[in-house]
Amino acid sequence: MPLGLFRSHCLAVGSACFWLGVASGWMLLQTAAAEESPTVHPGSVVYREHCQACHGESGAGTKDVPQKLVGDRSVAQLAKYIHDTMPEDDPSAVTGDAARHVAEYIHAGFYSAVAQDRNRPARVELSRLTVRQHQNTLADVIGSFCGHGPRVEEARGLRASYFHGRNFDVIQRVYDQIDPHVHFDFGFEGPDPERFVPNRFAIRWEGSIVGAETGTYELLIRTEHAARLWVNASGDETPLIDAWVKSGDSKEYSNSIFLLGGRAYRVKLDFSKANQGVDNTVHERPSRATIELCWKPPHGVWETVPNRCLFPQDSPPAFVLKTPFPPDDRSIGYERGASVSKEWFTAATRAAGEAARYVIDHIQPMAHVQRDDPDRAKKLMHFAQLFAQRAFRRPLSSDLESLVIHRPFADAPDVDTGLKRSILIVLNSPRFLFRESSGAADASDAAATVSFTTAARLSFGLWDSIPDQPLWDAAAQNHLVTVEQVAKQAERMVNDRRTRAKVRDFFFSWLRVEHGPEIVKDKTRYSEFSPEIAADLRTSFELFIDDAVWGHESEGRRSDFRRLFTDSEVPINGRLAPLYGVALPADAPFRRVRLDDGRRAGVLSHPYTMSILSYAGSTSPIHRGVFLARTVLGNVLKPPQEAVVPVADALHLESTTRQQVALQTSSVACQTCHTMINPLGFAMEEFDAIGRYRSTEKRGALESPIDASGSYQPRDGAEATFWGARELAASIAATRDAQEAFVQNLFHALVKQPVRAWGPATLEQLRTSFEQSGFSVRRLLVDIMKVGALPPQTPAVLIHTKSETTNQTQSQTDNQKTQTETVVLQENKS
Amino acid sequence: MISRRKLLCRLGVGSAVMPFLANLPSLAMAGSTGARKRLVIVFSPDGVVRDQFWPKEAGAFKDLPPVLKPLEPFKDRLLTLKGVHDKVQGDGDSHMRGMGCLLTGIELLPGNIQGGGATPAGWASGRSIDQEIKQFLQSQPATATRFGSLEFGVLVPDRADTWTRMIYAGPNKPVTPIDDPYQMFSKLYGQVKDRQSMRSVLDELHEDLAKVSAALPAEDRRILEDHTTLVREFERELSTQHAEVAHAEPVLEQGLIEQNDQMPKISRMQIELVVASLAANFTQVASLQYTNSVGQPHMKWLGIDEGQHSLSHESNTNADAQEKLTKIGAWYAGEVAHLATRLAQTPEPGGDGSLLDHTTILWTNELGEGNSHSLDDIPWVLVGNGLGFTMGRAIQCAGLPHNRLHLSIAHAMGLTELERFGNPDYCGDGPLTGLV
Repeated sequence: MPLGLFRSHCLAVGSACFWLGVASGWMLLQTAAAEESPTVHPGSVVYREHCQACHGESGAGTKDVPQKLVGDRSVAQLAKYIHDTMPEDDPSAVTGDAARHVAEYIHAGFYSAVAQDRNRPARVELSRLTVRQHQNTLADVIGSFCGHGPRVEEARGLRASYFHGRNFDVIQRVYDQIDPHVHFDFGFEGPDPERFVPNRFAIRWEGSIVGAETGTYELLIRTEHAARLWVNASGDETPLIDAWVKSGDSKEYSNSIFLLGGRAYRVKLDFSKANQGVDNTVHERPSRATIELCWKPPHGVWETVPNRCLFPQDSPPAFVLKTPFPPDDRSIGYERGASVSKEWFTAATRAAGEAARYVIDHIQPMAHVQRDDPDRAKKLMHFAQLFAQRAFRRPLSSDLESLVIHRPFADAPDVDTGLKRSILIVLNSPRFLFRESSGAADASDAAATVSFTTAARLSFGLWDSIPDQPLWDAAAQNHLVTVEQVAKQAERMVNDRRTRAKVRDFFFSWLRVEHGPEIVKDKTRYSEFSPEIAADLRTSFELFIDDAVWGHESEGRRSDFRRLFTDSEVPINGRLAPLYGVALPADAPFRRVRLDDGRRAGVLSHPYTMSILSYAGSTSPIHRGVFLARTVLGNVLKPPQEAVVPVADALHLESTTRQQVALQTSSVACQTCHTMINPLGFAMEEFDAIGRYRSTEKRGALESPIDASGSYQPRDGAEATFWGARELAASIAATRDAQEAFVQNLFHALVKQPVRAWGPATLEQLRTSFEQSGFSVRRLLVDIMKVGALPPQTPAVLIHTKSETTNQTQSQTDNQKTQTETVVLQENKS
Repeated sequence: MISRRKLLCRLGVGSAVMPFLANLPSLAMAGSTGARKRLVIVFSPDGVVRDQFWPKEAGAFKDLPPVLKPLEPFKDRLLTLKGVHDKVQGDGDSHMRGMGCLLTGIELLPGNIQGGGATPAGWASGRSIDQEIKQFLQSQPATATRFGSLEFGVLVPDRADTWTRMIYAGPNKPVTPIDDPYQMFSKLYGQVKDRQSMRSVLDELHEDLAKVSAALPAEDRRILEDHTTLVREFERELSTQHAEVAHAEPVLEQGLIEQNDQMPKISRMQIELVVASLAANFTQVASLQYTNSVGQPHMKWLGIDEGQHSLSHESNTNADAQEKLTKIGAWYAGEVAHLATRLAQTPEPGGDGSLLDHTTILWTNELGEGNSHSLDDIPWVLVGNGLGFTMGRAIQCAGLPHNRLHLSIAHAMGLTELERFGNPDYCGDGPLTGLV
């Protein structure tokens, strides 16, 4: 390996070092519970020994020293102060390193403003809509006037009609069929020489298109003949791509469109092999006819729009918000709308204008009103009422109706302007922009609106959007009071396309692959690795998660969290096959393949994960270990406090990656974290930098067998040891740590409020019911909503239905007690 | 420099239009460096009836021919150019080449659009002259404008093909004219309108915020207070921005449906928007395309039930058809005259005189004659003084290629470096001589 490359590798290793801290209040609880944990901060020992007698537990104060131990000194200032003056009766007892350790410990634990904020009792906070919620909500408020698209489980492909003329006259239709995708070479003969004139035929494809990701899709038609493509538009509107005029040598025509992931958009493609314009065959010559519909999705590469993204059913026109928003706050691990900024406000105002314009332009079908309709004013006001209550997620009180409907209509010069103003008021109102803001706001009819608040929590939790009609009806009939009623709705809603989209986004975010990092590999070592391979791996990863989360009952696979780690099958297509040692035809679509004699372990060893958690030319046990320790097992790691000097590289040209990492992180300072990180990452060493299985590693002239032995000390219980990904995965799937991390992350992604706001025992209760369900993710989604859709004051015992929970009464009672205490505490505070 | 009042008097503008003019950009607006030059290309289709269209002889105008009669008030700022041909050959029928090569001066690419005879063709293989000028103006800060160019249409059919597009941003890149005045209005004034709408609902928003806020627990009120502050800030910005809006946008009749019988109204709405865009300096280059090559408007408001294209195929001996086509031609001339009138009524912002003193209208057609489909003697009628040509006369050229006229226009618009345009074989000795 060239020296330069090795140096940069070591520097990068340095920056990837992590320091295991006890920073978060949550982690403090954990370590306090596990007294024997080897990762206890040295400062906490000093604190207990020398400080706690006066300052109390966690600096809460005591009778003698009632002031809380809080302030604004920095760690260094604090360390010096302690070194010089503390403890008061014997300042020489805590000095030097001990003073520094205790300063670090109290600063991060409870002393600093940041720590205090972190330790505040969790509560459900008023939040604005996140960007994703804003986009989805506007799409659905407007879409609620437009009808439904295809359901999740529908068959795939596009409806195709073949015509024996150059146009699409019904009388010239030869046959209809479902085509799996649009990628045809009709040669010189056409689709069927017996039924079509080779130089004159036309085909129309119709249906819906669904992309997984939100973003800009580039679409492309490749043909020598006339074609037009509409996406999210009817044939009367301007095509997205108009290639009806064939001009010069152009064969490819493209355009782009912004679409929301996981939603169905109408698509229509017209193709005609014939000269256009004047109907005259004189100049028509035999020629080849091909047609292909391609796209380049966000984070993807150019490809034929695949069968799995096409549906034969039409979709109604959909509103897609184009106004760009600033990104949401994700500082605590999930997107939330905890604050407002000028940029956000400007975007929200523009978005309201954009939506209002769309409504005015499309009002005729949406409000079933013609321009010269004698009842136009009445119909538009009725529309405005429905619009407002859907946007506000509750019926309008008479006061509110007067404010947002009657006044703008009465003040405007004409009814269209009245409607526009009404929509602008609604979409700029805090009742639309803020979540749960109006729940408490209308004290007069609070009782009647509780069910609507629950309905909105349910729909935002599962869809990031407004309630649909069945959910609205349930709220209106006050059928969202008991946990069973909430569960019944949640079970129905889980099957909606929007839940699929939200859960998919959650997994990509949780597993840190959402931004589709550009994976670049060393060209000499991994010459076969291309952007196309990277894009296929992303698709494979997505299909894998989809199968584990939603199951495939007809093939005997159920929704099971553990399969994320233990499933040995990987979706592979023709392009990936040779690289990962599988024999498939080059154009084979994705299918599940048992790779490497069953040595694979779900997402952990998935080639996409392994490629991302690697360098260009070698694996990175540290990145892999951090991913396992932090993301999968939910431990809190902090970046190293100082840069690490790389080890003298020239001396270790023949060391294995494992040996180098061990050497690199051997100092005491590194070991606080790396005793956890390294043994996890080392267990993945059987998979190289592009995620291929290997049993040896070649370094310099030396080929060494892989040592994939590793270990993990869970927060509770005995240390686990394992060899390789399979054993590691089996161990992880069974640990509470991983289960708890998953439940907590999913809760936060759905509900967007801290799970602790529902009481300290809720997380463990959810984990237990998750375990009892056989780790069904589908079930967990419902269980989380059973908690998150109801206000925190509702005792968490209600998670379990009677049949599930006869032996839990005692712990429930305990939980109820803590719950009640928490509630009282919160009430006192407010 | 002539005073505003004097100007209004000279134009014979009565007090009725004073309120409108009062809303236009003030004469003292934005110090402009050097006079602005503007170009508005107007297209009408299907050729002309030659002996009713062209002046009988070259030189200063005596009586204007019947078709040009409506331009009588502008006789001294009118120029007709005869003997300038569209010589571009190649694929496509005459209508297609007439349209696609009219402003590009270059061949159509081979393609799949079959005309009435000849070989099929595709799009033009080069940029049109207005886009060439736009690129030049946009490349310099002093002449760059918000849009660079605006493409207006009147009843352009909703299909993109060689007969419906004359503006090209480049080879194979036809530009779609906007023939819906409401869509154009929203393009020009959408942002202003949005701000106005927001201003009209601020009272309700404040009231609503106060109500919601009052009912919230104290911890949740903070984020809403932040939000309220942002609303107030927005309100302040709206009121300062309002003062900066230099002119009121034109008021359009609402609810007009785009169909044949509305052509006169749509034409007038688009003309208002052209004038307003020039006055606001949204652009210095505009085009206004009536229908399309092979356009088939039925001008029932003139008592003509037949479609224009069908009439244009009738022989010169069909007196009825010739008379109707003359009326149709005069109707287009009347719209050009109306555009000229509105430009003449509108003071030049930040300069002296009127918009027409700094604007040239170039009215043209894809054919010299409808029934013969000749591309010789393409109609070129110029109105206004933007290009600095010597006006008030008919010029007779000796069958010169129209690429040279485009070079003259480009040079007059300041793009003097342009030596060739379109197919270089048709650029001869460069710009036409004798125009200035």
